[in-house]
Amino acid sequence: MVVQALVFYLFAAVAVASGAMVITSRNPVHSVLFLILAFFNAAGLFVLMGAEFLAMILVVVYVGAVAVLFLFVVMMLDINFVELRQGFIRYVPVGAAIGLVLLAELLLITGAWTVAPGIPNAMGAVIPPAADVTNTHALGGLLYTRYVYLFQAAGLILLIAMIGAIVLTLRSREGVRRQSILVQNARRREDAVEVMKVTRGGGV
Amino acid sequence: MNAVTSLPEMAPATAEIFLAVAGIALLMFGVFRGSNSLRTPGWLAVLAFLVAGILVVARTGTDDAFFGLFITDAFARFAKVLILLGSAFSIVLSFGYFERERKGRFEYPVLIVFATLGMLMMVSANDLIALYMGLEMQSLALYVLASIRRDSLRSTEAGLKYFVLGALSSGMLLYGCSLIYGFAGTTSFAGLASVFSAEGGTSVGLVVGLVFLICGLAFKISAVPFHMWTPDVYEGAPTPVTALFAVAPKVAALALFVRVLSGPFGDLLDSWQQILVFVSIASMVLGAFAAMVQTNIKRLMAYSSIGHMGYALVGLAAGNEAGITGVMIYLSSYIFMNIGTFAIILGMRRDGRLVENLSDLSGLSKSHPMMAFALMVFMFSMAGIPPLAGFFGKWYVFMAAVQAGLFGLAVVGVLASVVGAFYYLRIIKIMYFDEATQPLDARVGGDLRAIIFGSAVITLLFLIAISPIYDKAQQAAISLLGA
Amino acid sequence: MYSAIVFLPLVGALIAGFGGRVIGDRGAQIVTCGAMIVSSVLALVAFWEVAIGGRTFTVDVLTWIASGSFEANWALRWDTLTAVMVLVVTVVSTMVHVYSVGYMSHDASIPRFMAYLSIFTFAMLMLVTADNLVQLFFGWEGVGVASYLLIGFWFHKPSANAAAIKAFVVNRVGDFGFALGIFGCFMLFDTVSLDVIFAAAPEKAGTTLNFLGMQGDALTIIAILLFIGAMGKSAQLGLHTWLPDAMEGPTPVSALIHAATMVTAGVFLVARMSPLFEYAPIALQVVTIVGAATAFFAATVGMCQNDIKRVIAYSTCSQLGYMFFALGVSAYPAAIFHLMTHAFFKALLFLSAGSVIHALSDEQDMRNMGGIWKKIPFTYAMMWIGSLALAGVPLFAGFYSKDMILESAYGSHTGVGQFAFWMGIAAALMTAFYSWRLIIMTFHGTPRMSDEVLHHVHESPKVMLIPLAFLAAGAVLSGWAGYEWFVGEGMAEFWRESIKILPDNNSIAAAHHVPFWVKAAPLVVGVIGIGLAYLMYMFRPHLPGLLAARFRPIYLFLLNKWYFDELYDWLFVKRSWQVGVAFWQGGDRAIIDGFGPDGVSAVARNLAARAGRLQTGYVYHYAFSMLIGVVALVSWYLAFGG
Repeated sequence: MVVQALVFYLFAAVAVASGAMVITSRNPVHSVLFLILAFFNAAGLFVLMGAEFLAMILVVVYVGAVAVLFLFVVMMLDINFVELRQGFIRYVPVGAAIGLVLLAELLLITGAWTVAPGIPNAMGAVIPPAADVTNTHALGGLLYTRYVYLFQAAGLILLIAMIGAIVLTLRSREGVRRQSILVQNARRREDAVEVMKVTRGGGV
Repeated sequence: MNAVTSLPEMAPATAEIFLAVAGIALLMFGVFRGSNSLRTPGWLAVLAFLVAGILVVARTGTDDAFFGLFITDAFARFAKVLILLGSAFSIVLSFGYFERERKGRFEYPVLIVFATLGMLMMVSANDLIALYMGLEMQSLALYVLASIRRDSLRSTEAGLKYFVLGALSSGMLLYGCSLIYGFAGTTSFAGLASVFSAEGGTSVGLVVGLVFLICGLAFKISAVPFHMWTPDVYEGAPTPVTALFAVAPKVAALALFVRVLSGPFGDLLDSWQQILVFVSIASMVLGAFAAMVQTNIKRLMAYSSIGHMGYALVGLAAGNEAGITGVMIYLSSYIFMNIGTFAIILGMRRDGRLVENLSDLSGLSKSHPMMAFALMVFMFSMAGIPPLAGFFGKWYVFMAAVQAGLFGLAVVGVLASVVGAFYYLRIIKIMYFDEATQPLDARVGGDLRAIIFGSAVITLLFLIAISPIYDKAQQAAISLLGA
Repeated sequence: MYSAIVFLPLVGALIAGFGGRVIGDRGAQIVTCGAMIVSSVLALVAFWEVAIGGRTFTVDVLTWIASGSFEANWALRWDTLTAVMVLVVTVVSTMVHVYSVGYMSHDASIPRFMAYLSIFTFAMLMLVTADNLVQLFFGWEGVGVASYLLIGFWFHKPSANAAAIKAFVVNRVGDFGFALGIFGCFMLFDTVSLDVIFAAAPEKAGTTLNFLGMQGDALTIIAILLFIGAMGKSAQLGLHTWLPDAMEGPTPVSALIHAATMVTAGVFLVARMSPLFEYAPIALQVVTIVGAATAFFAATVGMCQNDIKRVIAYSTCSQLGYMFFALGVSAYPAAIFHLMTHAFFKALLFLSAGSVIHALSDEQDMRNMGGIWKKIPFTYAMMWIGSLALAGVPLFAGFYSKDMILESAYGSHTGVGQFAFWMGIAAALMTAFYSWRLIIMTFHGTPRMSDEVLHHVHESPKVMLIPLAFLAAGAVLSGWAGYEWFVGEGMAEFWRESIKILPDNNSIAAAHHVPFWVKAAPLVVGVIGIGLAYLMYMFRPHLPGLLAARFRPIYLFLLNKWYFDELYDWLFVKRSWQVGVAFWQGGDRAIIDGFGPDGVSAVARNLAARAGRLQTGYVYHYAFSMLIGVVALVSWYLAFGG
């Protein structure tokens, strides 16, 4: 248990620290790299809880795909964050005041946190004991049956996002050569090749 | 976990499922057709709305589906009919616009279909997550719609502003949901209701979560102080999209607002009532005053809709059956006068170009007497002049406020509507008494004329239909609050 | 028949007023004159039946107002007093109607004029036939409105408009008193019905009433309030200023309204209310003093006026003064008698003056007249008859009635009576003087008008002259014919219940027994006055100028009508103007508008501008305001909501 606790605090501390670095580092590429580190630590936390499927998904999807994609985008866009932060100082006092007030209030609230009666039972019922079903099976049951409505809705939202991205960015530019397989296949030898009789010393 | 292995009940959500499938089919149709003509997919979308409407109306009683994530009842049906009407109208409105501007895209009706689907899901949400899903589906589609004229600076700016601020509001909403979940241990509305009705079920954290939730929802109905996006987005977005914004999402968000507050949080009335009173007063007053100095009619309509949402919130703040009935009647009158007004704005063209300044309306009574008359009807209705539709909405919500003992709110509401009458009457004055510098184009499309005529007739004859509408609205309120 | 007398003029007025375009000028004249002629013939019959035949009755028309114990029926009360008044009103009105056909022949809106005349007649008849105070008030206001319309008939003339407004406003002051008097009656008697009031008046004598915080004898207060109303309508001293100005109206109007009928409404009112006044001796004294003062004052002013109509107007004012002090000494029959004779000869004078004006192409200033008696002999003769009657020369109507009044005043043997008598004698002297001054200046001497006007001088058409002849007959005969009935031996039988005189106050009976010099005095001073006029204007024309120069302050004082207009202007018009300006600028502009419409709209604009400025267009401003909103709401909840 001690080892587990130690590992938990290690993962947690690194995750929080790298999260902080994501927003503070000056170089955007560093930010993305810290993000990846944070993902890894989060995956470690999942493993500690016995949710190995989630941990692997996190590594594969977020680290392998999303974060790398992010990195490419950041490197390609070459955003000057220093420029973006101009005017930041002007709003610091007001922003800080608002932030402090909000923070104080939230602390006040969490200080008064009481768990409503009967809630632990309700929460426990959602997650099946690991011994009965596998991790993946349980997730699948929740995702595709219990919450199929939300799953499908999320799918549609992604579809909308995709349509939106296409609508807003895809444009057919003039003068761009596109591959047309139909045209390629329909091409005959006569269209492409002309056989010429070349007289000696005459040229074409 | 037997529930996990059996298929969920889906029948109550037939209309939504149909609309989702129809949206995807429409997308396929558009992609493979390869033409940018708007009319065919547009009419198909209207047809889909019609079918969905029939499916909505065909159900009776209160049922839930998808393991309690989704609910359909009289209230949802009432709101859904209004939403479908608003969406269908706004598609019809857009034909002329996009054809003339030569920017027709088949994605436009598809996005409206998905946005409408999101709205229907919002109205039927019975769980905080379902609520959020519906809200995001709607919002995302609307962000895209706002900037669909991607070559127009104003349109893209509007879309971006809407997106950024919408994301912020979504964040607040989610934060509120997470607080609520953290303190109550459940996201389902039924579960929340049972937690709150139990002794000692509420806590400070829960109510703060509720405040965040209210803020997120207030953004969607553009209530003060979360209204700032509205004028800019209304002005920047293409006019048919603005027409859509002004109608269907407002109905959906307000209906959702009503459902959340009077359903699971009904027992916390004391906590949220004062917040709503404040938001309502602020919206009514700001809507009335800020509209006075506007010169752009779309901005004016934005402030007008802020004000109208304030009036509708009066009914919600009352928190009783009469109040919710009033809100539903208010929304019924609201969509028709807005659709009609936007149809007229879309008909305002000079030399083929759309104009949208108030001064361009001058002399309308001479060049387009019927249009001017219709606009006068809409303006009088919005100002709440008696026999017209807008009067009944205001009447019922103010009566509900008085019934609930919120006299101050009712008085401010009446005063604000007096101030508001100023700018509505100003439009009438411009149309009827100012000399036209240059007349507007004589030709107004047939679709527009039909919609203007229809809306004007409904606004004028609301009086006749008030009894059945009142019955339906009351049923809706009862279905929400219990008899 | 009795209703027809009253309502025929209304019918005529409605037809002429609303159908004027259809029936045309001639049609309007025929309809209104016809209605009036029929009405006056019926009035004669009614006079025969009611006054001579001795019938007193009430004709109910309909229930008008019924509210709680307050009930006012629309009913026509017919007794001798009413019959006399109806006869006078209808006859004079008929003459004026006919006369107007000629006089107004060049006017552009004849139907309107005829309709106004008829509507006036209707209102006047309503007044004199009233069975209760409210109906009386209705007629009272009706004649006021008609008078306003007729004075301002030539509304394109600013002076006519001003005069009309002045007449209306000054009358309002009187009407206010009258209305208060009616309220007082209702308070005291719990009814407005005249019969009930008269029956109850003796019992109520001596009761007190709290008015403006002062205790006072109830009947006295009511009587004085009613008398204030009468003062306004009858142009008594203090409220007389409107009458001379009212001469801006067409001359037939002056004859009908401002000489013969409307201005006598006050006299009628006091006579009608005699059962009340008889129990209010102090009020009677007030009436006497005011009447006598008016008679004297108006006569002095009349001597110095140069406008022919104004001279006659002041003469009217003066004669009304006679009537009032007659009322004041309880000689009601004498007052009514004088009212009747005066109506004839004053209408005659006015219409003759109108004829002169007509002949001289609308010239009204006597200094521009003269030397035309040979050109318009008929008018000249009429003027003489009228003046003789006015001056009280024997055998003419004025002689009988005026002498009766003076004798009654003397015979009343009271202090105020003596005062009134001597004032009356002085006024009689001046009356004779200015009457002949008028005749001489107008008709004799060298012509002072332009040759062109002189060339045009012509006798008026027959339609104008015939009414003159009728009125002249009245001016000659009415005194002689009516003497026995009105104030002679048959008096009590003639008036019966319509006028009440307490035995102690019976000054008319005493008047028959006054010393001879009292009877002769009016005649003597009249002759002196005529002689003076001849001396000063006929034989020594330079004398008036000399006198005016010698006694310049007095002359100016009289010429300017004792500076009443200036005084009122300074006292009331300027003050109320100042109060009005103060309310307008300080109250309305600064306070009501400032905090009301203007202020609200200014605040609204300001707020609107601010609200507009909030809209900067920067996303981060918007986001920030949202966050502030959230924090504010959360804080609010934490602070107050928990």
